[in-house]
Amino acid sequence: MMYKKYNPAALMSNPEANLNRPYQQCGVSIMDTIADPDITFDEKGISNYYYEYLEAEKSDTKRGEEGENLQRFWAERIKSRPGKNGYNCILGLSGGADSTYLAFLAKKLGLNPLLVHFDYGWNSEIATKNVENAVKATGFDLYTVVMDWTEFKNLQRSYFKASVLDLDVPADHMIFGALYKTALKFNLKFVLSGNNVWTEHTLPKSWNYNKFDLVNLKNIHRKFENTPLKHLPALGLWQHAYYQLVRNIEKVPLLNWQEYNRDEVIEIITRELGWKDYGGKHQESVFTRFYQGYILPEKFLIDKRKAHLSTLVFGGQMTKEKATEIMKEPPYDPKMIQQDFEFVAKKLGFSVEEFHKVLNLPNVKHEFYGTDERQRETYYNIMRSIKPLTKAYKKLFRK
Amino acid sequence: MISFRKRIIPVLLLHKGQLYKTVRFQKPVYVGDPINAVKIFNDKEVDELILLDIDASKKNQEPDFGLITDIVSEAFMPIAYGGGVTQLRHAEKLFYNGVEKVVLNTVLLKGFGLVEEISAKYGAQSVVASIDVKKSLLGKKKVFSHASVSHKMESITEFARLCESKGAGEIMLNSVDRDGTYSGYDLELIQAVSAAVSVPLIACGGASSKADFSSAEKSGSSAMAAGSMFVFQRPHNAVLISYDV
Repeated sequence: MMYKKYNPAALMSNPEANLNRPYQQCGVSIMDTIADPDITFDEKGISNYYYEYLEAEKSDTKRGEEGENLQRFWAERIKSRPGKNGYNCILGLSGGADSTYLAFLAKKLGLNPLLVHFDYGWNSEIATKNVENAVKATGFDLYTVVMDWTEFKNLQRSYFKASVLDLDVPADHMIFGALYKTALKFNLKFVLSGNNVWTEHTLPKSWNYNKFDLVNLKNIHRKFENTPLKHLPALGLWQHAYYQLVRNIEKVPLLNWQEYNRDEVIEIITRELGWKDYGGKHQESVFTRFYQGYILPEKFLIDKRKAHLSTLVFGGQMTKEKATEIMKEPPYDPKMIQQDFEFVAKKLGFSVEEFHKVLNLPNVKHEFYGTDERQRETYYNIMRSIKPLTKAYKKLFRK
Repeated sequence: MISFRKRIIPVLLLHKGQLYKTVRFQKPVYVGDPINAVKIFNDKEVDELILLDIDASKKNQEPDFGLITDIVSEAFMPIAYGGGVTQLRHAEKLFYNGVEKVVLNTVLLKGFGLVEEISAKYGAQSVVASIDVKKSLLGKKKVFSHASVSHKMESITEFARLCESKGAGEIMLNSVDRDGTYSGYDLELIQAVSAAVSVPLIACGGASSKADFSSAEKSGSSAMAAGSMFVFQRPHNAVLISYDV
């Protein structure tokens, strides 16, 4: 059962896996034609991802004094609008490197964030330990949003049965909902965001699905498990608009405004915040570990490390040779696969046989189950028609 | 000086098949999925764990054997289970499924037949007698029943002594008034009961720090159990499993 389909060497010569074109790898990075229908190359054999990275780095990131000034400017702005209990912003803390470093940075800038941890039932021990250590070291307060496991489990079961690609949608969707709800509860206007160009810019469109499409999520759930989802912080389009436009909650991407070297960052958080490495990006959750390390490569021929490592290569943080070397290792400790396979099955209430069956269903596109496209169109039309009004409102009330 | 490692035991409460944490045995707050919580405690190399189903006796239900088996299979450490154990065959099935000890509570208020039976068959080390203590309106500490069983257990120490004599290998002493309050263990109570019995005493209710463990130990308890301290972070009682002892 283990790693039958995902054999990188064999995939190179398999036309189907390369979308019926010859295998090609980016001249700069390790992005390639396997399982990425969107990739294009220029005459020098360099992929679109390289140029897109350079563009994003130019437009979204700042370094040196310019970056520091921007960070300080936002820190002052955040401090000037405190919410309840003296907190002035929200910081989603997963226990991963980026969010832990964000907490370090918030401390350095003199902010007082409420740390929000999202617990959807798949925390690893190291993740909880990292959160605990970060809380202790920074002295910030922690707030946890715990998903009702019965409801969340059923939602995850629906996604497995739907056989769609992005099994991270339920968690990612609810994280945004949870962050906004908590911001509202504590009357906070700012959400510090760990999203950044330096470590996560490269990501083919076909490798995930729109996390905000609640219509798709509900349709998938209705078709399969169809159990109540009453206690999950779902985030509808209108509600999302309400948070952003009416409550004016802003995301602040602090990490983009400074030089960001992953090795240095890990060194700092290990020393200052007692952080421990769990090997690999996004492995703080047993589910994500299993999903990215087993399901994505085996079922969809996607090895996310290609994008993660390529981003580092584009930014000069890693050489292509080093990335190539890392890719020779399997995406997942083979000893762990069997153990995690059984654990994930048990936790989701599948027998091992059932779980095999579900994972072997033919892949289905998310769009097959219906999307929020029409809702979105209506939304944009309304926004366009009331634009003069909102402009006037902003002029009047927000200087 | 040789220092021995203290026995510090996380207590997890099952309610509606999920983990909850109470304050003074009331207002259960949702903590999450028991399978993952036990897996995390296991990875933290916790020495032992107590799992209590707080619905079973109230609702007159048997233990949820399927759920308990799923939970126990995530743990390498010994697990003591309590809740709805009213017959020898319940204990048998639990032991068969990997539970190390059974915790008896409500059933003791009706008689000691089951303690005797389990102890005779599986040994005293496999039975924990759990005594819940609550202050009455007049301020006197009394044996309390969360399942509202009327009983004649006037003296706490007398009750503990009876449990011991009938074959309980350990006494778990819960202070209902301190449950979930972080106000420290009821040291007076620990002193009184530990002086009355010779089997090990597990203190429970009120723990908030390592210092509390030491004072309970000095007062005569052999093991210290805690709930909130290992599943919450203050001030918001944010759910986060920890085991810093």
